[in-house]
Amino acid sequence: MTEKVIVSNKGLVRADFNFWVGKYMDKFYDGLEQKKIVGNKCSKCGDVFCPPRSVCGKCNENLPLDQNWVDLPESGTLQNYTITPYKVTDRRTRKVKDPQLIAMVQIDGSNTAIVNRLLNITPDEIKIGMKVKVDWSEKTTGAPSDINGFVKV
Amino acid sequence: MGRQVAIVSAGFSEHSSKRSDVNMPELVNEAIINCLKKVPSLGLKDIDAFVTGNMPAFEGANMPELWSTDWMGARNKPLMRVTTGGTTGGSVAIAGYYHVTAGLPGIDTVLAIAYEQQSQGDTSVGLASTAYGEISILNTLGIDYDSLSRILSAGAAIGVAAYQATNYMSKARITEEDLARVVVHNRRNAAKNWWAHLKMPDLTIEEVLDTPYVQYPLRYGMLCPASDGACAMLFTTEEKAKDMCDIPVYVNGVASVANESAVLGYDGSGSAQTDPSAQIGAMRSSELAYSQAGISFPRKEIDYAEVYAPFPNQELMWLEKLGLFEETTAPEMYKNGTTALDGDLPVNCSGGVNSTNAIGASAMERPAVAALQIMGKADNQVPKTVHTSIGHGWGGSLNLCTLMVMSDEQKRKWR
Ligand SMILES: [Zn+2]
Repeated sequence: MTEKVIVSNKGLVRADFNFWVGKYMDKFYDGLEQKKIVGNKCSKCGDVFCPPRSVCGKCNENLPLDQNWVDLPESGTLQNYTITPYKVTDRRTRKVKDPQLIAMVQIDGSNTAIVNRLLNITPDEIKIGMKVKVDWSEKTTGAPSDINGFVKV
Repeated sequence: MGRQVAIVSAGFSEHSSKRSDVNMPELVNEAIINCLKKVPSLGLKDIDAFVTGNMPAFEGANMPELWSTDWMGARNKPLMRVTTGGTTGGSVAIAGYYHVTAGLPGIDTVLAIAYEQQSQGDTSVGLASTAYGEISILNTLGIDYDSLSRILSAGAAIGVAAYQATNYMSKARITEEDLARVVVHNRRNAAKNWWAHLKMPDLTIEEVLDTPYVQYPLRYGMLCPASDGACAMLFTTEEKAKDMCDIPVYVNGVASVANESAVLGYDGSGSAQTDPSAQIGAMRSSELAYSQAGISFPRKEIDYAEVYAPFPNQELMWLEKLGLFEETTAPEMYKNGTTALDGDLPVNCSGGVNSTNAIGASAMERPAVAALQIMGKADNQVPKTVHTSIGHGWGGSLNLCTLMVMSDEQKRKWR
């Protein structure tokens, strides 16, 4: 028996994927463009979803597209967070000067949490339960990048 | 012996080339709503367990069953994913049957859901992820990349079907016109099925033959589309089924059989074989499923067939390999009307995979439609009474076949 390397695979595979966000998330992104946060409400249990969704899994209830939309404030409560010395959005630069803070924020008036960056906060300032608010990007385009992250109130 | 299982409903989402109005869970949800609508006495809370499947590589969404849990009504309930390539839907349906027949405590009613939203991804990339698995097999046989490019089948599924087609055509002594006739049959049927994708009520043989070759002998107009769509089937016990619908459809036989190894580009027709249209796996799956169902004379006892044929030559081949027609006689059956809606053995009245192909869903849509034909609730319902029907699936790379045999009466134990 001899061993030899038959294959050493180098190369690029191009994989183009499209992601259809659907009509509910469409409304959410339309809201972001106007610097507004919207959610929708289950008529059965009253839970408010942010981002919005077409089904409440708890009640197995379909939430109609044309009903129960809720305008939410841009403020929320920090429910959880983590800290990383790496840059999450760019693998090439890797280590960053200041640690990245990533948080789960429950937008006031909703029953769900969304994940985004915490900005202009040092690790020793963070406290679970603290109030934060959206930091909007200057020019909104109806995309996730409309939210830069969350900042202290 | 397992418990007798019955199908009480089946539902579909609308299918088209681009369902960009919904995300994946929303698409899945459509089929479930359509399925449950037909059983007013039942709600999602009454479902005991869920089985689901698609080909995640096609959309690029990993573990989509977790994302879709709420949209399937499966929160905090047993949920299992089954993914087996082209046969995914058939395997999901069979797994739904297994769940019920097993007789586990508290698991009587099971929802099986299969889907694909192909417009989200690049199907060729998706298939490539499957092909990479095969490439590594070739590597372990000592074949390197340079040699590989000379032997790999072209164009994914069509590269396989082309060999099946030429072997079959020479055996049956038929022409491309016979293939085109099958396409016309399917697309005209699809026109009468609300959820079908390619609806062509006035398609002619000439129009099909007027399209360019993709790979001889298959022309562009003969190929299945790439669709977005979902399908759901509801399985339950014999006892519960009677309260849920007028005509429960009993599942009397299932099989999923692979015929030896088949590596694309190496032993393309299965190892130790030279004829890609031999399809011993299909023959074996039908023998198994028919014997479970107590069927001795499939040609006489089966009233309706849905077979998995993205390409028209496959439809002819499967009907023979599944024992419904004598070898090489299927083309004649399309000429003389046997397979038509009002024929002796109507075939693919839904329009089949040739008209609608949301890959993960396709092999479930076959038994789903075949069951609805027995209930009298199919969208292009045959005029005669259907007592026994079959739903077939094909996939893997070449030789994996799923089969479900259904009837309006329970298993014939006296045979
Ligand atoms: Zn609710």
